[in-house]
Amino acid sequence: MIYQQLINGLMLGASYSLVAIGYTLIFGVLNLLYFAHGEVFMVGAFVGLYLVIYAGVDIYGALLGAMIACGALGIVAVFVAVRPVSKDRPLAPLISTIGLTIVLQNLAVYLIGGRQLAFPETIKQQLYHFGPVTISSVQIFILAVAVTLMVLLWLFIERSKTGRAIRATAENHETAALLGVDVNRVVLITFVIGSGIAGIAGVLDGLKNSSISPFMGLGAAVKGLIVMLLGGLGNVPGAMVAGLMLGMIEILSAAYIGTTERDFFSFLILILILLYKPTGLFGTRTIDQR
Amino acid sequence: MLDGYTQSILIFTGINIIAAYSFYAPFKTGQVSLGQAGFMAVGAYASAILTQKFGLPFPVALAIGGVVAGIVGVVVGFPALRIKGVYLLLLTLGFSEIVQVIVLSWEYVGGAQGFRYISFNPHTLTYTAIIIVALILFFARIERSSLGRAMDSIHQDEVAAEVMGVDVVRIKLLAFGIGAMIAGLAGGLYAHHATFMDSTTFNIMLAVEILTFVVVGGGSTYWGPALGATVLTLLPEFLRTLREWLELLPVAWTNFFPVNRVYDFLHAFLDFENAKRLIVYGIILIVMMIVRPDGLLTRDSLRRLPFTRWKPGHA
Repeated sequence: MIYQQLINGLMLGASYSLVAIGYTLIFGVLNLLYFAHGEVFMVGAFVGLYLVIYAGVDIYGALLGAMIACGALGIVAVFVAVRPVSKDRPLAPLISTIGLTIVLQNLAVYLIGGRQLAFPETIKQQLYHFGPVTISSVQIFILAVAVTLMVLLWLFIERSKTGRAIRATAENHETAALLGVDVNRVVLITFVIGSGIAGIAGVLDGLKNSSISPFMGLGAAVKGLIVMLLGGLGNVPGAMVAGLMLGMIEILSAAYIGTTERDFFSFLILILILLYKPTGLFGTRTIDQR
Repeated sequence: MLDGYTQSILIFTGINIIAAYSFYAPFKTGQVSLGQAGFMAVGAYASAILTQKFGLPFPVALAIGGVVAGIVGVVVGFPALRIKGVYLLLLTLGFSEIVQVIVLSWEYVGGAQGFRYISFNPHTLTYTAIIIVALILFFARIERSSLGRAMDSIHQDEVAAEVMGVDVVRIKLLAFGIGAMIAGLAGGLYAHHATFMDSTTFNIMLAVEILTFVVVGGGSTYWGPALGATVLTLLPEFLRTLREWLELLPVAWTNFFPVNRVYDFLHAFLDFENAKRLIVYGIILIVMMIVRPDGLLTRDSLRRLPFTRWKPGHA
């Protein structure tokens, strides 16, 4: 029983991690709570759905399409709601990305209607039994995609030149700019990567819950925020681990305490972390760096 | 007498103005809170419990609801003293969410079914107006008092304020508590006007909306919150009337080629149902932040008005 729950928690956590990675990347380079990130996740799910239904692609095509579409959305977001807004007022970019959130969500409601849509079965359902644990083929697929993505991203950030530029910008804007990093380009790349990953997470979420709705973004956004904080603001590997942790904590509390209390626990963790370890479990920056 | 629709719009505008001031009070000391939805919920549920379960008269219940929210505000504000910026935003967001979860699982106030059949208060508009006037007088008084200057100094530089002898802890806590109390009043008014509420009534989007009221209106003057809340509440209603104006155009002006196409397009486009209205709302938020990132009203623009004899505090 407990092993089964841990596996379920891992599944839930994988999608939290993917959303939180984008958040934390963007927060790292811009010090901005990018509110529209949950809606990017939602857009990804819908792009995936429509590609499967109307273009008849398989699940890999859907993932690729969602990633490309959301990456493009990231570029749009930068040019519409981030770059034109003055950076020396901390609340202005927050509000403009909230505006973007409202636009994206209601655009989806307008185009699709405020209802849930069934996500088509693109992977043959098959159950595998490992001793006491049962895993479905869908779960294995989701986990495999999530882990692959995280490893690739980690390699990219740690090993590539662009990754180094992203880390430098996250540490200090001005210094990075002085050392010849094109900060504007780094911000753009960060948005593309973060949004693309969120798009994939959206499709995976659709696969997992086999239904999607225009309102799925807000919940993902809030959970992503908690995970980002748990892992340490701007800390990418931290977000990966913290997402898996939160998923397991939620599943375990839902299984052994109650489903209503599940959300209570995640927010309780949020508050405790804020009060006692605001740099997150794996810590990065100090509290005065906002 | 005003018709029902107008009255309802005015009441919601008024409640939003009060909610905006609840955000403005802690914001004046630099604390950005997404907890105002939670405090509204505390005030709303406390006052509704008092009128429904204990039979107290509405004004008493409203006042007690405000006080309860204020006390909760101080309790939340105390740990919040240690953190700021994004961390405070997240902490207060967590508080709002926790209130939602508690309400959802508390059967005494209806649980998932929601709190139903709250007695309707026919004088909400009057109460709302009185509270708004009181708030504006209060914040106008604060603005030019030593307390107001102390708050401004904390907003600008907390350490410098502390060094200058400002009791930072006490004033921040006071501002947070006052803000929570005002939010509680807004919640109580809402509950006895809408007569129904559940765990989703005071959600995160409401907290975010309250934040946008103040930022769009201008957070550096005490007129800003009222202006922002009014503009952003009435804007969607205004969009509704645009199409009626279009239809007022004489037919002769519009029934020849290119113009009729434009007319038809506009006519179809201005058919604002909810989603479309909100899309426009979102676009306006983005444009506002590009054009006027300090909000519609700033201290400078107030000072430039010809009829202001008094000078609203120094920048």
